[in-house]
Amino acid sequence: MSRVGRIATEASAAARSFLRRRTAVFFTFFFPVILVMIFGALVQTQPTGGGLFAEPAGYYIPGYLAVVVLFTPLSRVGSEIARHRDGGRFEKLATTPLSRAEWLLAHTLVNVAIIGAASLLILGLVLAVTDAEPVVSPALAALPVFVAVAVALFCGLGALLGALADSQDGVIAASNTVALPLLFLSETFVSPELLPEWFLPAVAASPLTYFARGTRAIIHEPGPWLGDLAVLSALAVAFLALGAYAVPRTE
Amino acid sequence: MNETAAATASAAEDGEPDRDAPDAAGTAPVVVGEGVRKSYGEVDALDGVDIRVEPGEVFGLIGPNGAGKTTLVRALTGTTEADGDLRVFGVPPREVDPQRIGLLPQSFDPPERLTASELVDYYGGLYDASRDTASVLRDVGMADDADAWYESLSGGQQRRTCVATAIVNDPDLLFLDEPTTGIDPAGRRSIHRLIERLAGDGTTVFLTSHAMDEVERLADRVALLRDGAVVAVGAPDELIAAHGGDPGLAVTLDDPAAEADVEAIRETLRAERSGGSTGEPAAAGEDVPAVESTSEGLRIRGVRPEEIGDAVDALEAAGVAFESLAWSEPSLEDVYLRLTGEEYSPRTGDLGELASEGGDR
Repeated sequence: MSRVGRIATEASAAARSFLRRRTAVFFTFFFPVILVMIFGALVQTQPTGGGLFAEPAGYYIPGYLAVVVLFTPLSRVGSEIARHRDGGRFEKLATTPLSRAEWLLAHTLVNVAIIGAASLLILGLVLAVTDAEPVVSPALAALPVFVAVAVALFCGLGALLGALADSQDGVIAASNTVALPLLFLSETFVSPELLPEWFLPAVAASPLTYFARGTRAIIHEPGPWLGDLAVLSALAVAFLALGAYAVPRTE
Repeated sequence: MNETAAATASAAEDGEPDRDAPDAAGTAPVVVGEGVRKSYGEVDALDGVDIRVEPGEVFGLIGPNGAGKTTLVRALTGTTEADGDLRVFGVPPREVDPQRIGLLPQSFDPPERLTASELVDYYGGLYDASRDTASVLRDVGMADDADAWYESLSGGQQRRTCVATAIVNDPDLLFLDEPTTGIDPAGRRSIHRLIERLAGDGTTVFLTSHAMDEVERLADRVALLRDGAVVAVGAPDELIAAHGGDPGLAVTLDDPAAEADVEAIRETLRAERSGGSTGEPAAAGEDVPAVESTSEGLRIRGVRPEEIGDAVDALEAAGVAFESLAWSEPSLEDVYLRLTGEEYSPRTGDLGELASEGGDR
């Protein structure tokens, strides 16, 4: 079996296993729906000043996408590693030709597909329930690339968390601890002008910032985005490599 | 076995001791371990294990919980690092071609929302070549439940499905870590037949189990692991002859709490055997049956089948009211109990002290 064949086999089993867990599927897609409904439709934006959301509705599209791009891979890959470790699956896989990098790549592909679908759902909802008017241009074709690269990045980080945490509970707690600050301090829902200047280097250090900036430059405020994609891609490669190294064999 | 031959030749050229040298029959061992050690903190899981498994044999590994069996399997499959010299097919475990190895881990919980058939397909799909899924499921007696989700199967069916995932790549060396745990007698029988068939076809099987009858029936050789070290190794018959003790007659008393005059019973049996009368001292070197109290009554060791009538007479002469008698030859279980210090719990004598030591461990 070729490398591609092994990855396809692992991805196929992981996808089927996920799709048959109805509760997991429901909440994976319900989570972004509820988010858009609350912040996009219920709270709404007040671009004229004041209120929780002071920017135009389109400004927050990267934030909504960031929610699924960040939370879902972290918790899914982290939990999957904990589940594999608890069930002796890595011990079994270590005696097969499937490498740890191939395992992580397969699960990353599954996450890209799931989160890609969730992102489409978010975009559709945003258009339906808010007055956001996304910029339509050829650059829009790069939006799925941003989503895929960011998902890969956070799958790598999720693998690191899964390897470091000693239980599924630990993975969830660690994921939330990492994801919440990242989500709100990465130019997603809170614009840099609202933050103290001394904190801006921390914003620049967040990988999610480059996702938010790049996607915003595509969908809301046209501007250069290739640099953001390059930074995001480099970080994705680094995190995937670290994550693959961290995936346990058995102990 | 080309890799093995190459490794053997290489070692010989280097002038090193040839650990992988073929035996008298001209076959190189599949597994060689010398001085294998593994520690978890201050606990020595493996404490200098020496082991050698020949091609095509069923090698049984027995020992109490915590003796190091699973750690040894992990060391041999390369899923944990261990000190010492370990070679599988002539190379370190992590360098073995995975196509040649099959593993059923002791604790294994595959994706639960896949069917038995999909699970076998999945693990088979990871190899360069794999067996037909339907035939693998047939081998483990799961053909009728191939389309049931793993999570909906009974414990025994789940374990048999797991065994299927270990043989799907048609391995040359199969590690089965407690394969029949939780399986009913019919399921166990199908796994036993499978192991016998695989061994008959030349597959080397490394089997760990707590079911002594299973190991005694299946294994060509057995190693007994205790506290991380091999304390005995050999064919089951050899181990039983060397360590199993004498045949015994288990006597279940009407009232297990009643005190029986074990000396009187022993003396009567001795007199019957020697053709003499009671009261004469036993001659030097005379083989005298031993009588011990147990939790259920008495155990008379060293009684031959033709002496069972004499034993009944002796019990009646001593005024012992008994419920049943059961005569048995020593088995691998007796070897296990003696060598691990987990002897049954008699109320008196030296074996009682031995049992206490085992219980504290």
